Amino acid sequence: MSWFTFRFPDFAFSFLSILFEGIPFLLLGSVISGVIDAFVPARVLTKFLPKNPNAAIVLSGLLGVIFPMCECGSVVVIRRFIRKGLPLSCAVTYMLGAPIVSPVVALSTAAAFRGQSPAVMTSLRLFLGFCIAVLVGFVVRFIPHEKLLQRKVIDTLPGQKRAGLRIAAGSAGDEPLNLDLDSFSQKIFRAIQAASSDFLDVAFFFVIGACIAATFNTAINQQIILPLATSPFLSILAMMLLAFILALCSSTDAFIAASFVTFPFAAKLAFLVFGPVFDVKLFFLYGVIFRRWFVISLLVGLFILIAVICLRIAVLNL
Amino acid sequence: MTKLFNRWLPCATLSAWGAILLAFYFSGKIAHFLHPTFRPGVLIAGCAMLVLAASFAFLPGVAGCCDDENCGHPLGRMTFGRVLTFLILLIPIATAAMFSPKNFGATTIANRGVITDAQGLTARAPQATQSTSIEPPLPTKDGSQPAPEQAAAADQLLPKSAEGNVKVAVIDLLYAAQDPSLRADFENKKVELIGQLMPDNVSNASGNRFKLVRMFMVCCAADARPVAALIESDKKTDAAEMSWIKVVGTATFPIESGRPIAVVKADSVAVVDPPEETMLY
Repeated sequence: MSWFTFRFPDFAFSFLSILFEGIPFLLLGSVISGVIDAFVPARVLTKFLPKNPNAAIVLSGLLGVIFPMCECGSVVVIRRFIRKGLPLSCAVTYMLGAPIVSPVVALSTAAAFRGQSPAVMTSLRLFLGFCIAVLVGFVVRFIPHEKLLQRKVIDTLPGQKRAGLRIAAGSAGDEPLNLDLDSFSQKIFRAIQAASSDFLDVAFFFVIGACIAATFNTAINQQIILPLATSPFLSILAMMLLAFILALCSSTDAFIAASFVTFPFAAKLAFLVFGPVFDVKLFFLYGVIFRRWFVISLLVGLFILIAVICLRIAVLNL
Repeated sequence: MTKLFNRWLPCATLSAWGAILLAFYFSGKIAHFLHPTFRPGVLIAGCAMLVLAASFAFLPGVAGCCDDENCGHPLGRMTFGRVLTFLILLIPIATAAMFSPKNFGATTIANRGVITDAQGLTARAPQATQSTSIEPPLPTKDGSQPAPEQAAAADQLLPKSAEGNVKVAVIDLLYAAQDPSLRADFENKKVELIGQLMPDNVSNASGNRFKLVRMFMVCCAADARPVAALIESDKKTDAAEMSWIKVVGTATFPIESGRPIAVVKADSVAVVDPPEETMLY
């Protein structure tokens, strides 16, 4: 039997089922993101953080529970938050943690992995996402922000120090949107605008991801890829590479991962932890704020770290 | 042109998605794609998308996000990106909605590998299926076969057809092959079950076997796995491959390759209409 036999009706059937399952979660994430964008001023976020820099970084890793944000949204939001005075280390921790440590992601992961150890997968995903975000936050704390941020970003931010952390504080006046001055109806408009735009932007990548997953699920003879799926090392690398290429939203990627039924637990976990913190789309988005060397270092460091952790988890044979 | 990109393309895209979701939900087609748990989400998302589409149509201010220098939507800032987004979002889902069947074909089922042993479903928690909800017999003190009176009580719980045949699903027989107490409920009893016919090329030395296949879904059709019971029939069936058939016969669990497998010795095989819900849950 051939390793690849594409049949459009089967592809369409699988493709639609992935979309129908994931779209409600994608929409939910977009609506929450839009509401935060319109109704939550940046200073509310900074108010939550303690004065102690280490504690602030740790807490930033958990802010996604209160302010959930998908990875595309979090990059945009932290740029605004950095201008408002959020310490850079905290901003990076939030940027990496929020796409995973969020109630929407927990809900969608548990739902997608129904029948495939949902509690273990969800807990491990959120825990690893949090730890990795905090770890990167601690590393960033010791790097001057002039070396991390793009010149055009630094130009808009007169740097200063607060609570032992290097921060980039700007005046509230340079915010293009003054949330305090907006009327309620304007905020509603902005929330709808942000939610719709987020949804359409992320749905673009979700459709492409669903196409690839549906092709994989229907056209490829699973017996052929069994050697790849049975090797912990190869399966983890393959799934991480796939997560990088597919560039899925963290609120829906679990539905794609769960459909790779032949791949082991640890490989799916690697997909779910690596994808939200780094993919091909984020490579360009991170580049808007951070210098290229930092973006590449982040890619390499996160890839190795997550692969090693998941290889260790593979030994547990969950 | 800018107005078209900013306002009407997102409006059209959201309207189309909302309409497709609601059409699948209200026509009942959604049952072939999703587990019942996820179906209300499609209704809610469809309605929400129509609301968002209406906001683009009636609230001009909504359309301006991607003209803002702070906009984080990389595709939305370029004309090419906007057109590409529109095409990618609309064409695949519209085409798939038009041509999607209600179940998978033989090629995909073969590609996924038909499971005839419940051990192949170990990642999935065994659950009662939609067609039968069978209470297992009460356990005995030494774990042996249930007492005759217990077996009789369990037998009364099994759903039966008008002819008195035990109505089972393929997955019930697979789990029964793994579990002695469940096996006792079915072994040597007249059962009837429906599924899709597929040839058996693996354990068919005498040439009188074929597979009765159903898709077993946990979340959506994309994760559905084909499960099959083996059917033995001395009479050659003229049903085409992948056609829906009803088999009436005796459930047996012979040991093959060191493990019990589910084999139904068929008395009759008849072509039937597909069931309302083609998937097992």
